[in-house]
Amino acid sequence: MAKRLKVANPARCIGCYSCMRACARTWYNTISLKNSRINIQTKGGIETPYAQIVCHACVDPPCMRACPIGALTKRKGGGVNFNREICDGCGKCVEACLMGAIHLDVENKAVICKHCGVCTKFCPHDVLEMIEVEDSGEVKVTDTGPVSPTESHKELYGKKEAEEGESGKEKAEEGESGKEEAEEENEKKKAERGSGKKEAEEVK
Amino acid sequence: MTAEKVITTTEKYAIPGLTNVLYLDMTDRSYSIVDRRDLYEKYLGGSGVAVNLMLEEYKEGTGPLDPEMPVILSTGPLSGVYPTCTKTVALFRSPLNGELGESYAGGHLAMSMRFAGCETIVIKGASKYPLYVSVHNDKVRFRDASSIWNLSSTIDVGKIIRDVEPGAGRRSIIRIGPAGEKGVKYASVNVDTYRHFGRLGLGAVFGAKKLKAIVISGDQEIRSPDHTAYKKQYKKLYDTIVKTGLMEKYHNLGTSENVLVLNELRGLPTRNLQGTSFEGAETISGEHFADNYLIRRVSCAGCPIGCIHVAMLKRPFSKAHEYETLNISYDFELIYALGSNLGVEDPKAVLELIDACEKTGVDIISMGVVLAWATEMLQKKKISTEETLGLELNWGDAAAYLRAIELVVRAPNEFYAALGKGVVYASKKYGGEEFAIHLGGLEIPGYHTGLGNILGLTMGVRHSHLDNAGYSADQKAFNKEMSDEEIIDMLIKEDDLRCMLNSLTICLFARNVYTYENVIEALAAIGIRKTEEELKELGRDTLKKKYELKKKFGFSFENLALPKRFFETASTTGMLEEERVKKALELYRKKRGL
Repeated sequence: MAKRLKVANPARCIGCYSCMRACARTWYNTISLKNSRINIQTKGGIETPYAQIVCHACVDPPCMRACPIGALTKRKGGGVNFNREICDGCGKCVEACLMGAIHLDVENKAVICKHCGVCTKFCPHDVLEMIEVEDSGEVKVTDTGPVSPTESHKELYGKKEAEEGESGKEKAEEGESGKEEAEEENEKKKAERGSGKKEAEEVK
Repeated sequence: MTAEKVITTTEKYAIPGLTNVLYLDMTDRSYSIVDRRDLYEKYLGGSGVAVNLMLEEYKEGTGPLDPEMPVILSTGPLSGVYPTCTKTVALFRSPLNGELGESYAGGHLAMSMRFAGCETIVIKGASKYPLYVSVHNDKVRFRDASSIWNLSSTIDVGKIIRDVEPGAGRRSIIRIGPAGEKGVKYASVNVDTYRHFGRLGLGAVFGAKKLKAIVISGDQEIRSPDHTAYKKQYKKLYDTIVKTGLMEKYHNLGTSENVLVLNELRGLPTRNLQGTSFEGAETISGEHFADNYLIRRVSCAGCPIGCIHVAMLKRPFSKAHEYETLNISYDFELIYALGSNLGVEDPKAVLELIDACEKTGVDIISMGVVLAWATEMLQKKKISTEETLGLELNWGDAAAYLRAIELVVRAPNEFYAALGKGVVYASKKYGGEEFAIHLGGLEIPGYHTGLGNILGLTMGVRHSHLDNAGYSADQKAFNKEMSDEEIIDMLIKEDDLRCMLNSLTICLFARNVYTYENVIEALAAIGIRKTEEELKELGRDTLKKKYELKKKFGFSFENLALPKRFFETASTTGMLEEERVKKALELYRKKRGL
């Protein structure tokens, strides 16, 4: 079952940048936000709503077409897998993405979302979610009942509330940071397997 | 523009300890970036580093608004690194009371300074014409700000700078409004629209330096020497903040939750502290604002809480269903100052008053207290409408107060000019000192809970409710009998802790998350080793040095004024006697060795 990242509830964003930090921390081993593969930003100051710039997981990705050396290949579930080793930093993928979801890092390698979902675990307001998609990347129709106005709104704060709404498995993870760590590592390994490439140099 | 003594970070992704101090000279528009690792190693950052820099920079006899008087902005090693470490401290000499000025602001500033690689900024000198300073990583520019001087709103200043400067998305823009330009002694510095260096008049200092604004952005990479430990520690703190009840209050109604709480406890200053409960509390409560006006909440950069509560005020301006909407952030102190303390019970009026203060750029607590004092002066016929240029001030009359705010800033006569110098100055000139509700020359925040509060605000080095445990000690004493000595001991213990936390510039709302144990682990995970004893010593040392500065600036225990009003109105813990407060002050002083 393929999954992809979606900006499910953009208007709930408070601009805390916890998601960007989680991304940079997990995939670049850095603290600063620079190498986050998603970008939360203001457009006209804090008085206007935040913009969430994330990879759209294109079914037919233009960045892949733009790459002259085949560093980008189609990902199961939409978007691309990235071969960092052969990327030569030409920046054509950056231009091709109208979302503005790709940038180059200090070593001139593309920074592209791989839809691992670690950012969603650090979003306190359900702005970001992982959704199920077809292998092609087409969005799956899963729900057919009426929409509840607070749908996807997890209870946010307080252990008690979380326990009421969450499954037992997630509860255990929340309780033990060690397990969550392992979970993060797993996500990483899974994503690495998915792309068929190791990113050892990237995460060093 | 000249650059001298430029030393840049030597390690790529450096983290253990911080490195740089950016010195800005407004007089000759020059700057230098100096390696001051020595300071960061000893004092971590924030108030610890700022206090030591102030002791270095201060030349005996320099007045608050003299060009040579420095302003120091400082962040800490945890800024931009862990959740809720979002504050920047400003240290200066206060033009309001002449003493040590210390103020904290959130917004994007701390993260921007950190990722720009200048964790501390020292501003000296004064320009002949208005300037703003832009800092993008290590690029520093002084730019002519004459065209944005005299704008009527701090909000507009942000809008204009956003268009002419790079770094869009997460940069910080701090700026002053008309009040700072005209030298209102309690003018504030607006930080990213919704946060402020509010108390003690930093805005007037910026104005005197002809410094309209600073825009700062950075995207340097930083990395922990032990990334696994860092990740673990981050997760632990994040979970404590987001998934436990420790910060529940700020997740929910925010600080304005206190309106009904303090009203119930009879500790909410009302009508210039003639009372401590307000019959209109319900309509200006956090609950009422949330249900009727709250439209969104936002965060300071790096905080998952989102305690900045933004209200929408929809206002008709014609009979043809035409509306304007204003987005206004509100907090407990603002509601006290412009609500209960002015007898205003209409929440819309409170929002309009907040908006007027925001645009002009003044500290709202001071403005509210000054207007409350003026109202009582009129009522007691100690002044007449001659002084107010015909304006009647009556409790609850928001339209009059809206005009008064404008007049205080424009200062068309001697009386309004006096109001712009604070309640101590105005009451010395016109009388009514007994009901000028200030402590240490600073208009009081929204608590009249008892001994702890008065002691904390009088002795607390920052005269701030958040920097001392005064009102929470009173709440404890309200629930369970405590001796005065026990209250003092709690204040002293908390003073030291908060002084240390302020060297790490964490948000004090998260003070229960950042225990000594958690701070030690958080520092260790980024390669900085400190023991609990070292941290405690840092807190004590910082406090001691603040007193050193205060004394240099003219503070003396003998001159402490305790206006009668505090002993005429019952507090949460009952009526206070002046003798008891004086005794407690002595005891505090003795225990502190001051």
